[in-house]
Amino acid sequence: MYPATEPTDDALVAAAAAGDETSFEALFNRHRRQVARIAGRFFAQREQIEEIIQDAFTKLYFALDTYHGTHEASFKAWLAQITVNTCYDQLRRIRRRSEQTLGDFTETETKDFSAQLRAVGSDVESALISRDLALKLLTRLSAEDRLVLTLLDVEGFSVAEIAEMTNWSISKVKVRAHRARAHLRRVLRKFV
Amino acid sequence: MFKRNSADEQHLDRAGTVILRAAAADEKKIEAASESPFLFTRVRARIAEQLRENESGGWQSLPLIAWRAIPAMALIAMLAGGLTIWTGSKNSNVANQPSVWYRLDDEALADTNDPGVEQTVLSRNNLSHEDVLDIVIERGAVENKK
Repeated sequence: MYPATEPTDDALVAAAAAGDETSFEALFNRHRRQVARIAGRFFAQREQIEEIIQDAFTKLYFALDTYHGTHEASFKAWLAQITVNTCYDQLRRIRRRSEQTLGDFTETETKDFSAQLRAVGSDVESALISRDLALKLLTRLSAEDRLVLTLLDVEGFSVAEIAEMTNWSISKVKVRAHRARAHLRRVLRKFV
Repeated sequence: MFKRNSADEQHLDRAGTVILRAAAADEKKIEAASESPFLFTRVRARIAEQLRENESGGWQSLPLIAWRAIPAMALIAMLAGGLTIWTGSKNSNVANQPSVWYRLDDEALADTNDPGVEQTVLSRNNLSHEDVLDIVIERGAVENKK
């Protein structure tokens, strides 16, 4: 909820769609943290997060005419959908690049990673895994696998919410999640 | 055995979640990225760039332009073909007239098609190619006598 004097998201969208740049800037300032937070789940570097923020708001600007909000949470859900899709596109680009550039784990990295994985107990919060090794391992997953697992297991979204965000059917999300988990297990078994 | 498999899978799933979390950015980085200076200016610049691209068409519109150009190019090709056929038939009519053919051969020998200095000199002095040929032969005969 915003103070009574503050215009609602829907009012700002309508004004921005009519060409009012101040309203678009107000939307940007109000929601850039939300976009950054979603981007931060997929990308570890600050520059990558900034890139997603820019991309997402550029897409949002050109899609303003297509927005038809029906309730207060509509805009946030719509923006989350745009952001998730932007992250997905970027993950696919990175995966295409990394297929050619990233090599396998070195012997030392394999040993370190195996030790870190074995130390993972029942408490997921307190477990520690090297970020570099985690990023290296995740390049072995497809963009779809990474997206669905992050949204399900890290963000805690429901299957229905993910389906809405990604424009996939509920059954596709379920199948994709099942396959992604199986694939990640196969990858991890080599280290444990 | 099934219990062991299940325990293994649970451990791997937990490890997977830990890996996904480890690959995410920390709160400081997320905050720094969202508060980055000139971020909105960069968004505006990107929008302006895309608007310019949309106005100029961009490379994506090239196939569309080519598709639209095909009928015009086909029409030009047909016109050019028609002209070639028409000119050919005109020439074949001309071929039936021997005097003209003689004249054409003559022109070819005397190179009267050359629009150079020679043509200008001949037209200014009211001289035909035969006159020039006579002069040359006469001069040759005089020089031979000498």
